Formats: sequence, C-alpha cells, structure tokens
Amino acid sequence: MDNAVETKNLTKYYDKLLAVDHINFETKKGEVFGFLGPNGAGKTTTIRMLTGISKPTEGTATVMGYDIQRQPIQAKEQMGIVPDVSNIYSELSAWDNLVFTGKLYDLPKELRDTKAEELLKMFGLYERRREKVQGFSRGMKRRICIAMALMNRSSIVFLDEPTSGLDVQSVLIIRETIRKLNQEGLTIFITTHNLEEASQMCDRVAIINRGKIAAIDTPEKLKRTIQGLQSVEVAFASTPVNALNDLKEFPDIREVVKEGDKFRLFTDDPSSVLASVWNYSQSNNLNLITVNTLGPSLEDVFVNLTGIRPTTEESKRSDKNK
Amino acid sequence: MIKNNVEDKVTISGSHSSRFMREIRVAWAIATKDMLTYYTKPAALMFGILFPFTLFLSFSIGRDIPLAQQIPMLIAQTLFFASSSIGPVVIPMERANQTFDRFLTAPVTLLSVLMGKTLAGIIYGVGISIIPVIVGVSFFGSQIVNVGALIACFALSSLAFSALGIMFASIPGQTPGQVMMPLNFVRIPLLFISGIFTPIGDLPTWMQVVSLLSPLTHTVELARYGLGTGGFFGPIINIAVLGGYAAVFVFMSVRFHILNQRKE
Ligand SMILES: Nc1ncnc2c1ncn2[C@@H]1O[C@H](COP(=O)(O)OP(=O)(O)O)[C@@H](O)[C@H]1O
Ligand SMILES: [Mg+2]
Repeated sequence: MDNAVETKNLTKYYDKLLAVDHINFETKKGEVFGFLGPNGAGKTTTIRMLTGISKPTEGTATVMGYDIQRQPIQAKEQMGIVPDVSNIYSELSAWDNLVFTGKLYDLPKELRDTKAEELLKMFGLYERRREKVQGFSRGMKRRICIAMALMNRSSIVFLDEPTSGLDVQSVLIIRETIRKLNQEGLTIFITTHNLEEASQMCDRVAIINRGKIAAIDTPEKLKRTIQGLQSVEVAFASTPVNALNDLKEFPDIREVVKEGDKFRLFTDDPSSVLASVWNYSQSNNLNLITVNTLGPSLEDVFVNLTGIRPTTEESKRSDKNK
Repeated sequence: MIKNNVEDKVTISGSHSSRFMREIRVAWAIATKDMLTYYTKPAALMFGILFPFTLFLSFSIGRDIPLAQQIPMLIAQTLFFASSSIGPVVIPMERANQTFDRFLTAPVTLLSVLMGKTLAGIIYGVGISIIPVIVGVSFFGSQIVNVGALIACFALSSLAFSALGIMFASIPGQTPGQVMMPLNFVRIPLLFISGIFTPIGDLPTWMQVVSLLSPLTHTVELARYGLGTGGFFGPIINIAVLGGYAAVFVFMSVRFHILNQRKE
C-alpha cells in the first residue's frame, strides 16, 4: 500500500449538476499532491467526499488504505483537514479551539496540552492563546485552522486553498510549514487555483476542470508536454492603439495575449517572431522596453488543457475599471 | 516518520480503553462545548425559557385552578420547549460557520455526534424544568409523591424533545429562525391537544385518541403522577409512548442528517 489516496470513478451530482465526473487518481504516500483548477472545477467537492463530509453519488475512495464509506472511522483517524473556509469556534480562545479539536480525536489530556502548546508556538500565536479567535485577523484564523488540522498527528493533511486571499506574511508561513511537515513524512493533498503555488509546492499536480481530470504529472513534465509552445514577451514605451491586431498579423504567430502593458506572442519559432518585432518597432518608430523569450509555464499547460486563462490580480483590476 | 505515527496511534487507542468509551467521551466533549457556547444565545433563551413561562402565565392567570395543580403543566411546557430549542440553535449556527463539518470528519459515528448534541438539549431542558419543581415544592405546597414517575417524566421527555429539535435541525438552514419556524408549526398545535389546558377526560373520544398520539400528553401526565395528581392514560402507557417517540426521533434525526450528507 503505497497510496495515501485512491479514487475509483468518484462522482458527485448536485441534482442535475455534475460537479465531479468519474475521477480516478492516486496520491502517493509522502508526496505533496496538488489539485489545480479554476473556481467551480470540483476541487472542494472532491475534498469533501474524501474527508467524509459529503457522500459520493457514485464511485469509491480510500484514504491511507481505508475505504471512506465502509471504514470511515479508521480513515478519519488518519487525516487532518483544512477546509476552504477557516471553520474555527469564534466564541472560544485559540487554546480552547485546539484543545477541543484534541477532544474530538479523543487525545488524552497531557497529549492535548503539549500538542496545543507546540502548535501555537509553531504558528507564532502562543502569546495570544487566551484571546477569543473572534478578533483575529484572517491570516491568524487560517493559521489556527491549520494548527487544528495538525492536532491529531495524522498521516495525511487535506488543505483546500490554504493560502487564498491571505496577506503575504501568512502565505509564506503557511507554505513553509507545509514544506516542513512534508519533509517530516506527512502526505499533503492541497487544492489551489494558483498556478505558481502548484508548481512551487507540489511533487505532482492534477489539473481538474469541470469535474474532470485533464492531466496528472509532475509540474516539470506537464510543462514538457507542450514543449513546442514557446513565446516572446514584448512591451513598448507607448503602445499603439491597434498593436494587438498588428502583432497578430506576424508570420509564425499562434496566438497573441495582452498581459497588462505587455504582449505575449506564442510561437513555434521565436527567432522569426523576434525579427518581426524588431521590424515592426523600427517601421512604426516604437521604443521596445522589454523583449523576452519564454518557455512554457504551468499556466500555459493549464490554458492549453482547460481553455481557461486564469484571472490574475492585474486583469481582475482592469476588468473592474471597464 | 509515518510508521512512527501509526505505531503511536495504536498505543494510544490501546491504552486509552475501548471504542465505546471513546464514543461516549467525544459525545460528552461535544455536549459540554455546546452548553458553554450556545445556552445563552438569544434564540435559546427566547424559545427555551421566555416562551414556555410566558405561555404558562398567560393561560393560568385568572383561572381558578390551585397553583400546586398547575405546576405539572409548567414542568411539561418547559421540558418541551427548552429541550427542543437547543438543536435548532446550535446546528444552524454551526452550519453557517461550517464548524458542523468538524463533527462529520471526527473519527466517531454520526450517532455519537448527534447524541452529544441531544445531551446538550437534555441538560438544558432538565435544568430549566427543575426550577418549577423546586418553586412548587418550596412555595406552593406541591409534594413529590412518586419520584419514579417524575424521573421517567424528565428523562424520557427531555430525550424525546431534544431529539425532536435535532431532527428538525436537519433542515438545511443557516440561522436558528429557519429551524424554529417549522418546529413551532409542530410545537404549538401539540400544546392544544395534549391535555394541558383541558383535562383529557373532558374531551370527546376522537380527541382523546389524538391526544394519546401526542408525546407531550404523556409528559404532562407523568408530571401529574409525580406530583400526586392523577392522569388519564396511566403511567405504563405514558412511559411506553414517550419511550417510543424518543427512539423514533433519535433514529429519524440520524437518518435525516445522513440524507443531508448525500445532498451536501
Ligand atoms: N452544496 C452544493 N449544492 C449545489 N451545487 C454545488 C454545491 N457545492 C458546489 N456546487 C457546485 O459544484 C461545482 C463544483 O464546486 P466546487 O467543488 O466548490 O469547486 P471548486 O472548489 O473547484 O471551486 C460548482 O459548479 C458549484 O457551483
Ligand atoms: Mg473550492
């Protein structure tokens, strides 16, 4: 048994809506496994089925070798869970949140206390253990929630978008902690819509879209699957109005995408595109301020497989301005 | 490291006694947390305490029944409302902040989780309904003539009504009001068919049959046996019907919460 998680045709319907569509995958013991997909892809639904909150419509799943439907108690003993919302008891103090979690796992008192102390120190919240968590910042609540998931000394931790919407400091602490726990042998199952996070953190990534898994592999191999896809990034000091259309007319261009004040020109032949860019800037009297050639990123793989271009903070802002 | 974890776990559960005791301890932990956190929430105070006492006062003032005889009615109403109001406060609020999921992912059975929640309602109902007993005995000359009947009354009624509240709390609302409303559609009519305001002996036969089916009837009657005034159906029937309802409500609450996990 080398698999921490195994699913067979795992499926969830919400009435007519097919949220998770017969997915099959394995997570190996000791790895950081990423579930990468856009909003509404079915990531949370999958985690909720794997952790026994929601019953699958069809299919089976095992966690640490235990069938989540037939041996739910053994399976649940093995897991720590950080859901997409920080579900902590706002009426209780940081300390009591951890201790109560320990009670749910029936840890003896001494162990509860030592664990709670150790985890609060690890997450930099020990000084504030007596305060009700109600007044904590979002990032602090997230840290408490992760600490709660570690109370029961599980062998796998499920984290549903653990860093989404947090301040930079919390994001760094959380990523560092996850790495450390993984080095100590804990299997990590993490969902994210953040491509950079997936390629930084994960040993293997499953790309999920509309309830289906589009690909599973290491971030590097996923990038290599579309090796042909290279691109040239250019920016002009002042961008001509119809630049986008002009660039699309270049030979050997597959696609042009505007990214903020830059253009990304996808091509199989970067040198031909570089030449065209140079000629274009000369004949139009444009100052080139950036020229880069880029290999495929995990984002490119993602776009290639799902047809969805993930919204970056920048494009969100420009959408609002429209 | 993983190996160590597993070995540790075996020794923990091994030295820390049996599976059954563990379920009990977790249920108790859930009950005590609910008690500390939710007993003083406005909806619990309002529907669990204010409501039965106000109802009692508004129906008993100006009637020429001796107070000692009215004490069993008050006991029945507080047991009924207080016990059944905790589930509808706790569960929707826990659903709203998603802490209810923590119980679904804890390594215990759903029955133990719901029994922990039920216990919080039982203790609330019993704690509040003991007040009229004490007041009745101390100030209005009530006498406890049948301790057994009174204990059966408290134990079975608080269990049945608390489980009723937990059962209704399977309605997928996120505020207590969303559960209290439909629950009141059941609770308030029951008040009028349970021999609280009119003695069952004075009712037409078909109404007597209806009141036999109401669990609250048997709470009132057992309270009356306990405090020395007689009932209509007799304590054996009272205990059997209340016990039956308690079992049905516990069973149904587990079923309904499982159904929710299918929909979730
Ligand atoms: N409780 C629910 N009832 C009905 N539809 C739901 C429910 N939860 C999620 N969905 C739907 O299922 C799909 C997958 O959602 P989700 O698993 O939350 O996606 P993700 O976590 O990847 O953003 C979405 O279309 C979402 O609207
Ligand atoms: Mg999600």
